[in-house]
Amino acid sequence: MNIVFEGVRIARGGRPVLAVPDLTIAGERTTVVAGPNGAGKSSLLRVVAALDRPAAGRVMVGGEVAVRGPHIRDAVAYAFQRAVFLAGSVRENLELGPRLRGVEEAERRRRAGEVAEACGIAHLLQRDARRLSGGEAQRANLARALCLRAPVTLLDEPLSGLDGPGRAGMLAELPGLLRQFGTTVVVVTHDMREAAALAEDLVVVADGTVRAAGPLAAVLAAPPDAETAALLGYAVLRTETEAVAAWPGVLTPGTGAATFTMVVDRAVAMPGGVEVTGRIGGVPVSVRLEAGMPPPRTGSKLAVTAPPGTLVRFPIGNGGRLEQGRAESIAVPESR
Amino acid sequence: MEALWEGLREAIRLIATGDAQLRDIALRTVLVSGCATLVAMALGVPLGYWLARTRFPGRPIILALVNTGMGVPPVVVGLVVWLMLTRSGPLGGLDLIYTQRAMVIAQILISLPLVAGFTVAAVQALPPELPELLQTLGAGRIRSLWLLSKEAQLGLLAAVMAGFGAVISEVGASMAVGGNLKDHTRVLTTAIVTETSRGENGNAMALGIILLALAFAVNLVLTFAQQRSRHS
Repeated sequence: MNIVFEGVRIARGGRPVLAVPDLTIAGERTTVVAGPNGAGKSSLLRVVAALDRPAAGRVMVGGEVAVRGPHIRDAVAYAFQRAVFLAGSVRENLELGPRLRGVEEAERRRRAGEVAEACGIAHLLQRDARRLSGGEAQRANLARALCLRAPVTLLDEPLSGLDGPGRAGMLAELPGLLRQFGTTVVVVTHDMREAAALAEDLVVVADGTVRAAGPLAAVLAAPPDAETAALLGYAVLRTETEAVAAWPGVLTPGTGAATFTMVVDRAVAMPGGVEVTGRIGGVPVSVRLEAGMPPPRTGSKLAVTAPPGTLVRFPIGNGGRLEQGRAESIAVPESR
Repeated sequence: MEALWEGLREAIRLIATGDAQLRDIALRTVLVSGCATLVAMALGVPLGYWLARTRFPGRPIILALVNTGMGVPPVVVGLVVWLMLTRSGPLGGLDLIYTQRAMVIAQILISLPLVAGFTVAAVQALPPELPELLQTLGAGRIRSLWLLSKEAQLGLLAAVMAGFGAVISEVGASMAVGGNLKDHTRVLTTAIVTETSRGENGNAMALGIILLALAFAVNLVLTFAQQRSRHS
């Protein structure tokens, strides 16, 4: 089920939050809407779910305008960022949505059991939903949305509130769950690693506008401007005339056609190498030295390079917009 | 202490013998205060919900008025209602003064701020996402209100208890607008005042004990309901 934004402007409390003049979220795919906090990502989900009306324009879900009513009720499932439950067991909470949508009891029970099993909370079905731990609650929150089997599933920061291992575990399981139960899925996150792990399509929002949209690989490979590159996780290094974007991991110690000078902040010997974090022209970067090499001292300088064809450059004279594809080499003054 | 025992004996005797006058006063008390509480619930719960969930200019002023209303002495409410309903008052033509309906009106005004105020607190204690969560799960407006009421029932039952407790125990407003007319507007509290002024301390104590027992019984039922919902 496609979601189409036509001339949409979203405001909250009279303040413009996000403009989406033209965007189509393709059906039967997982689209991640990513951007910094306050960029309007959740507001975008809210107009799809008809919780808010756009200040201008319209949102079409499956060919019909998204307004509160039977169409959106049946078409959209929404998992809020904060896992909130009604009094009762996890099972009662999972079955509430299908019950409100008129699903037969036997089918409700079957769905709840199946989704709970897949989400790893089958053993919690009889537990008081309001006494779950943070990780259990997020899983139950996701399960409740998936239990609806709606054509469109909206997930607002589904990994928020989870600790490191819990986040990593759920991030690993989410794509499979979404393939199993979701159809058209829209996930909001501020974390680009999560976005890269979940998205088939990626929409980047920042400063009240959609900065990039398209298949994940295409957006990651060719950010339209330096600011978007930075949002996507590139280390963006600036000179007087251009910005050079390096994807995390492409920088390696040594010299080459493009050589940068990194000021070392910290070096930690890890299994398999030395993890070095530092700055190039004030921009945080990290590289890995081979195991056995002496860790550089804090404040020392380290030459790093990038293989040919792995850097993206943006001539600043043209507003930072992408003019050329990948740079073969680049020289960035040490002082920058 | 002697008066207390005498009152207790008298209360047991009056109840055991099925004293008709006592029964009428007790029933009238339940009727007047029960009606007032029901109407106050019907008005106060939606008002409280609206105040808790809606943001508009002047909302803090209305909330402050509600909170002030929770502490207004019943006799002041009785005085205002009396001034409105007395023959020469703006609503004197309704011919309500010294009737049970006038008492119900006064008691509604006493109970309403309590019910609304407790409802505001109960609804504001719910997670703010709940109404929208229910909407996205598929609940219509009426169903959402019902489910939210169930979520807030602990606080809403406290609202009923506070509202009923305030009106069944008040004397000033009932005296002012009901007139304490025998067999007509006399309720337990005004009857206690009458018996005390006559020096019939035993009767007054008996009525007092019955009033307490009545209030306790109603609150016991509500407390059971409240605590059951808490553990369910």
